[in-house]
Amino acid sequence: MHQIAIIGAGPSGCFTAQALAKLLPEARIDIIDALPVPYGLIRYGVAPDHQGTKAVIRQFERLFERQGVGFFGDVRLGETVNLEALQGLYDAVVLATGLSADRRLGVKGDDLPGVLGSGVVTRALNDHPDANPVTISERVVIVGNGNVAVDLVRLLAKGAGEFHGSDLSEAAAVQCGDVRRIDVVGRSPSDAAKFDPVMIRELGRLEQAAIHVHGLSGEGKIVEALQHLEGHAPEGATCEIHFHFGWTPEEIEGATHVTAARFRQGDARMVLPCDTVLTAIGFEGDTPGADAEGFIAPGLYATGWLKRGPRGTIPENRADAQGVAARIAADLATVTPAKPGRDGLLALVPGAVHYEQWQRIDAAERAEAPEGRVRRKIPTIAQMRSIAQQTGES
Amino acid sequence: MQIAVLYGTETGNAEMLAEDIASHLSDHDASVTNLSDFDPAGFDAGTFYVVVTSTYGDGELPASAQPFAEAMEAAKPDLSGIRFAIFGMGDSEYPETFNYGGKRLEEILTGAGAERVGERVTHDASGSDMADDLALPWIDEILSTVDA
Ligand SMILES: Cc1cc2nc3c(=O)[nH]c(=O)nc-3n(C[C@H](O)[C@H](O)[C@H](O)COP(=O)(O)OP(=O)(O)OC[C@H]3O[C@@H](n4cnc5c(N)ncnc54)[C@H](O)[C@@H]3O)c2cc1C
Ligand SMILES: Cc1cc2nc3c(=O)[nH]c(=O)nc-3n(C[C@H](O)[C@H](O)[C@H](O)COP(=O)(O)O)c2cc1C
Repeated sequence: MHQIAIIGAGPSGCFTAQALAKLLPEARIDIIDALPVPYGLIRYGVAPDHQGTKAVIRQFERLFERQGVGFFGDVRLGETVNLEALQGLYDAVVLATGLSADRRLGVKGDDLPGVLGSGVVTRALNDHPDANPVTISERVVIVGNGNVAVDLVRLLAKGAGEFHGSDLSEAAAVQCGDVRRIDVVGRSPSDAAKFDPVMIRELGRLEQAAIHVHGLSGEGKIVEALQHLEGHAPEGATCEIHFHFGWTPEEIEGATHVTAARFRQGDARMVLPCDTVLTAIGFEGDTPGADAEGFIAPGLYATGWLKRGPRGTIPENRADAQGVAARIAADLATVTPAKPGRDGLLALVPGAVHYEQWQRIDAAERAEAPEGRVRRKIPTIAQMRSIAQQTGES
Repeated sequence: MQIAVLYGTETGNAEMLAEDIASHLSDHDASVTNLSDFDPAGFDAGTFYVVVTSTYGDGELPASAQPFAEAMEAAKPDLSGIRFAIFGMGDSEYPETFNYGGKRLEEILTGAGAERVGERVTHDASGSDMADDLALPWIDEILSTVDA
């Protein structure tokens, strides 16, 4: 029996396991994650009010519940275990640890208090255990023209009553509660904005935000969707959203804290007074230099954002994972299985959180869901561990 | 009766449901095929088709169903005599285009002369129902009328 370890239980790791389970039904597949809980950015990135997108988790539950794939959480590669040890235990090791560091704006003042990266903010609003609470004040500038920028706009502009059926926690709601004005500024012209039109359309259902779109140019689906938003003005709106296109960030102003963000378009300047700047211009980090099929070195592979860079949606990760799995299956055809796999891992990391223990955490989160919410995430690693270690039925 | 389950998917939800439907119908030796691998010239009047598709973008077909839609458009096959049931997957978070994928695919098939059997049912990813809980009773009901 071949033993395969996948490091990272985000969508890429899980889709790789799914494809491998099909290609190699005899193999034993273990997914390892640094957190005691699985699913990566599906749990901690995808917006709390997009539960339908998170529902892809049902596919992954089947892997663990019916297909014998192992989950071992609270095991951090590089700390709890090292790569060499894992390669000694498994015939193939797949790195699927993603890329989570926010790309910096790269202008003067981008490190002032009040400037926050979208990763930091979305982790906080999703109750990631490593996230510190963020302070988002009344006047917010969001730099970036992608879907994460739209997620932020929506989460900040929604009123308390607009989160029905989500898993936004009370703590997160407090962090994004009092925003009065949001300016969304993109470097490219409107027809080159990377928003998904359907995400823009969704803003047209905001119940307490008035929307103004400045400087539209060109045509296409995104421009049409933006045109449609212009003038959205629900009665009693408490928040204003302004979209601006074609402005390059020049400087974040402020002595001890952000006071304004300055942009340039040719010779023109735009200064937006604000207390918070959110950058949603993508993520960065080192990639391990895998080829198109995910091959790094014999027995070592990469998939997902770690392999391709921090771009692309869940479906793209699925297609990519299937390609990587096919390569692994082909390579393993010439490998005689002789490694200890799971037994060796458990000897090495006896404290790993198993799938059944995650199910206990999951059940506790659902049971403690506040009114109108589908769950309340357990906010700290210590509490997760403590629930995981409770014995007997609860 | 031969049964072929065809699916269109992006993140795999429709594929998993298609597989579940096929294993549920194991008495019929049902096959499962991604629409991306299905040639419209391959429709066969002796087979009953169960089509499962999700919805993407602005109410469009998922990526794996798009080549099929294009091939149908190009080949314009006559599908009279072909019978199918269709199950859509969508998300009510996208209310304006909820389940347009299923609707689109149904229009493509009936437009070519195929006959829809039973109601087109939709799963809502934001709802609390599991897709299987809707789809398996649905297909049993349909097959009880087709088998007869
Ligand atoms: C804010 C945000 C919102 C998004 N919204 C959507 C959306 O609505 N729809 C959509 O299709 N896509 C969305 N995306 C994109 C989507 O989340 C990514 O395409 C996808 O999650 C990448 O998958 P991955 O498995 O490569 O990485 P990740 O999801 O980041 O998973 C990596 C996993 O590896 C683990 N890990 C990291 N380091 C270690 C280590 N040293 N040891 C062990 N484990 C480790 C992490 O804990 C994590 O579980 C969003 C992205 C972001 C950032
Ligand atoms: C970017 C995106 C756009 C979507 N657009 C729609 C839509 O317009 N209408 C709809 O009913 N569902 C829409 N959905 C929901 C999917 O159809 C639903 O999640 C489905 O279960 C996915 O199935 P699949 O995994 O087989 O692709 C969308 C989902 C995403 C991620």
